[in-house]
Amino acid sequence: MHVLVLLLQILVLFAVVMLHVAYATYFERKIIGHMQVRMGPMRVGWHGLLQPIADGIKSFFKEDIIPEQADRPIFLAAPIICLVAMLTSLAVLPFAPGWVLADINIGLIFILAMSSLSSYGVILAGWASNSKYTFLGGLRSMAQVISYEIAMGLSLVGVMMLSGTLNLSKIVEAQGTSFGGMYIFPQIIAFFVFCVAMLAETNRVPFDLPEAETELVSGYATEYSGMRYAMFFMAEYIGMIVMSAIGTICFLGGWNGPFTVPGVPFFWFVLKIYLFLFVFIWIRATLPRYRYDQLMELGWKLLIPLALANIALTGIVKAIIG
Amino acid sequence: MFVKYKPKRNLLQTILHTEILQGMALTMRRLFSRPITRQYPDEEIPVALGFRGQHALVRDPETGGSTCVACMRCATVCPSRCIRIRFHDEESRRVVDSYDIEALRCVYCGYCEEVCPVNALVLTEIFEYAAYSRDPFHFTREDLLANWDRFVEERHIDRETYVNPFWRPRGMPEGRLPAAKRLPVPSDWTLEGQVVGAGYDQQ
Ligand code: SF4
Ligand code: SF4
Repeated sequence: MHVLVLLLQILVLFAVVMLHVAYATYFERKIIGHMQVRMGPMRVGWHGLLQPIADGIKSFFKEDIIPEQADRPIFLAAPIICLVAMLTSLAVLPFAPGWVLADINIGLIFILAMSSLSSYGVILAGWASNSKYTFLGGLRSMAQVISYEIAMGLSLVGVMMLSGTLNLSKIVEAQGTSFGGMYIFPQIIAFFVFCVAMLAETNRVPFDLPEAETELVSGYATEYSGMRYAMFFMAEYIGMIVMSAIGTICFLGGWNGPFTVPGVPFFWFVLKIYLFLFVFIWIRATLPRYRYDQLMELGWKLLIPLALANIALTGIVKAIIG
Repeated sequence: MFVKYKPKRNLLQTILHTEILQGMALTMRRLFSRPITRQYPDEEIPVALGFRGQHALVRDPETGGSTCVACMRCATVCPSRCIRIRFHDEESRRVVDSYDIEALRCVYCGYCEEVCPVNALVLTEIFEYAAYSRDPFHFTREDLLANWDRFVEERHIDRETYVNPFWRPRGMPEGRLPAAKRLPVPSDWTLEGQVVGAGYDQQ
């Protein structure tokens, strides 16, 4: 019985997240369109509202092309690794008090591990397609993930030190229900580092070097088509949602808000995630791509020292105050 | 103009990334501005004066045919050689036997209508004439006259005002134009002699 309930919960979560992914692409296109004084999708349904569904159906029925010289099993598995790793990290997110599939004590570490696992998918895809563009995309992804994973992990150490736990629900509870309790105030440096590293981790503009359609065609996804291609994008959007969720949990006080909305305990959590997603899109509409060496410089010379300094500072302050 | 490539920033501006924030503010403002997109098949696109579209031979209401005098200027000036005219002499004038335009080779430069001394050939404002084969793009004289009829009917064109001021060779002063081309030009088209030539004022 318990297993059945769990399966049902997983199914509901999966469906809700997939719906969000579909409409995240729609809002991304709409918002970027309007920011560029265009309209975005307008044709399918009222103001293009059915566009993501049309896209989904299209990519589902498209031919799945596998290059002759590709490393077949790895080529086939890569997008699945990406997607599954991202979906798995959804399990530990607390959407509301008690609303979490797996309330494990190492939630934060688990998410970091899963997000680096999903970049394996990208790297393997780049390698297995046996093409120059994908290969370069894969290499870039590897370098980027290594540099920014460190910064991201270090930026979250401050949060762990303040809350004294790795359990995501407990981190939210540790911040209390008051506005000033949010960790964004004591951890403002960490929040900055986290935001930049978050963009890099999800391969979003201005750090979308693994994809970089202007120079690498489509980066690691160049040789993919149909559903497998769509899987990479689902993974990217789920990655955005997961990263937004971590940002919300660790810095913005999770499901707590100025008042409780009766009947919808996850209201504030979802709202904060939407805010993050909007910022993702807003940044994409504004900034150009970083050059490769600038990306490395930013990661190693600025973000990592900043995050380390933040840890030291947090430790000292914590030792003094008690 | 002197472009300041990298404006000076102080330390605080560097740390707070004010330039990025400025850019973000700009995109945010644009989010609420009106899009300039025109939803083409649903919305009518305004056609600017002097638009160069489908070819047509102006139908002369008196004779019912074209006013073309077979001077061959259009065929001579056409850079893509897509106008083909056959004629024979009859006493003091030429009679056109056939007049063909291969529209697929046309580059819509508009030279043909500029040089025509009697404003017989025009490029209309019609641009929606796609087809599935090449044949419909080979216009004979009858096709070209029919194009004109359709154009007049669709856009409610008055022949006198339409075969008007833009189709004159650029930069030629009035005195050197054929009589039919000496038509008033809107004032903003005379700017810097672009249309009427430098000597326009002295005429
Ligand atoms: S518009 Fe130019 S290319 Fe086309 S028929 Fe006239 S002269 Fe030739
Ligand atoms: S320039 Fe005009 S009159 Fe002369 S041949 Fe061409 S269409 Fe006829």
